[in-house]
Amino acid sequence: MSYKELKRKIDAQQVTFLDGGIGTEVLRRGYTWASHQLKSEPELNLEIHQDYINAGADVITTNTFQLSKRSFRNHFANDEHLEAIGVRGLLDRAGELIHESVALADKARRSLDHSDTLIAASITTLEWCFRPDRSPDAEEIFDEYLEELTDYAEAGADIFLFETFNSTPEAEVAIKAAKEVGKPAWVAFVPYQDGRLLGGQSMEEVTEAMARNEPDVLLLNCAPPDHITAGLEQLAPLWNKPLGVYAHVGKFNPPEWQFTDDYNADQHLQECKHWHDLGATVIGGCCGTTPDYIKKVTEFFS
Amino acid sequence: MPYNIIKENLSTKKPVLLDGGIGTEVLRRGVRWLQHGIEDAPHVIRDIHVDYLNAGVDVLTTHTFNLTKRNFINFFRDADHMDLIGAPGLPTRAIELCRAAVSLAKEALTQTGKAETVPLAGSISPVMHLFRPDLSPPENDCLIHHKECIEILSDCGVDLIFFEGMNNTREAQAALQAAAGFDLPVWMSFVPGVDGNLLNGELLLDAANLARSQGAEAVLVSAGSIPMITNSLSNIINGSPCGAKAIIGRYSPPSWKPDFYPRFEDTDEVSPEKYAQEVNSWLDQGVHIVGGSSGTTPEHIRAVRKMIG
Repeated sequence: MSYKELKRKIDAQQVTFLDGGIGTEVLRRGYTWASHQLKSEPELNLEIHQDYINAGADVITTNTFQLSKRSFRNHFANDEHLEAIGVRGLLDRAGELIHESVALADKARRSLDHSDTLIAASITTLEWCFRPDRSPDAEEIFDEYLEELTDYAEAGADIFLFETFNSTPEAEVAIKAAKEVGKPAWVAFVPYQDGRLLGGQSMEEVTEAMARNEPDVLLLNCAPPDHITAGLEQLAPLWNKPLGVYAHVGKFNPPEWQFTDDYNADQHLQECKHWHDLGATVIGGCCGTTPDYIKKVTEFFS
Repeated sequence: MPYNIIKENLSTKKPVLLDGGIGTEVLRRGVRWLQHGIEDAPHVIRDIHVDYLNAGVDVLTTHTFNLTKRNFINFFRDADHMDLIGAPGLPTRAIELCRAAVSLAKEALTQTGKAETVPLAGSISPVMHLFRPDLSPPENDCLIHHKECIEILSDCGVDLIFFEGMNNTREAQAALQAAAGFDLPVWMSFVPGVDGNLLNGELLLDAANLARSQGAEAVLVSAGSIPMITNSLSNIINGSPCGAKAIIGRYSPPSWKPDFYPRFEDTDEVSPEKYAQEVNSWLDQGVHIVGGSSGTTPEHIRAVRKMIG
């Protein structure tokens, strides 16, 4: 499927399926996620993508959450310090892994003769996703996004999925960079239990900012189902363009994930039905969800 | 009181040997970096301590660097957010892990019969990433944070407080102020930059003087490469107790971690013998306390012991 065909499906309000957790799936399968395992365990990455394609995902996401040049740089006082004690080639590492990640997703869809599956580049905020107080100055980050998105585009990603964003100013810059690179921008924000963004903005503020920038799909993600519901109830009445959700299940257990029985795949499906009733048509899973969760969703809605 | 032995060594300028990397050693032994390896592999942590004791350290350090309540909260927007989406028990986890870490060090001391002769230093890291002085919070936050850390370690019965990897004078001052209320000796190490001063540009000489005037019994440099440590020594050597320990290898942090992650590559570029030679030159220059930072192993410390005699 080309993006044009996917867009037609989305515009026709047919349910479109994302994949589920990737990083947490690496953990669940017994590996640490410290370096995404892109180079160390390519087969593992491949299998996870394949499992999601087999579960019915229309769009699979790269295993690249929080993978950026800045994330590596953030471990040092400055570039001189990095040069002095950092491992050689560290600043090239993000670019290399981005290429690797898209290649693995591409390999997965080819291996299953699913060349119609689209690849979304998973891109989160430049600073820690749950720390709106650390958001960088929006004026200064365009070039950083441009560089990162160019890597994904060159590697062959079909969609930029800006996910777990906590405020609109950074998302606006990301969308502008996506437009410059010339690929669709999907933007997913983290809602909080009060139905606002984690960074405190109301959904009115979100939709005003997004109306100016026109992401191809607006989504909510990386919050427990009840927070997603609270956010969606606020957001849906204000947004008449494509809307999506993917919730996390379980608990964040830094730096890993605690899998719990709070929402099993069947209960998660019930939540998805509710979100669909509220207006979400792009549906997937975030941290803690597995190929089984996605399979339940795709089987029900297909 | 095993610390008295150290005190005497320092007054007679006899070298004092510290241990080497602990976090890097946990990873090198194949343990996953989760809760510092304390929950999954307590025996490995204990073995590392035992290996350092058998290598001949004069002071043992707890595996508590970067193990703080703040370090868990940092992953979340705030305490409420942590409560809602975080795993149960996170608010008290750091305390529990610190207690377990001290117990493991004590078990190693007992196992090697050195509980009466080798003092236990409670390691306390900067509030935020040790290489990011710009993230260090305001003085009062630092004061509260460090006081909590000292309280935990003090309750567990460590013999001295070792603030490791301080990166700015404001936090150093707050840490020492927090320690003033406890009846424990305090040591403090600073991270040097390439120019031999602090990573935020403050003069190491000023930081060292401040630390001494605020009660630090010894001032050290740590968490820099061998050239960085060597280059910084003139700023801390003044006849009073001072020390040095360098990292070996190159810091290889994962992108997906906002806090310090003790992964170093190319550590085999500095052999134990080579490291001992470097340490020897530091001793010649007037340093009294020596050990190893990230990347160094019990073999490096053993080589240093052999050289010191």
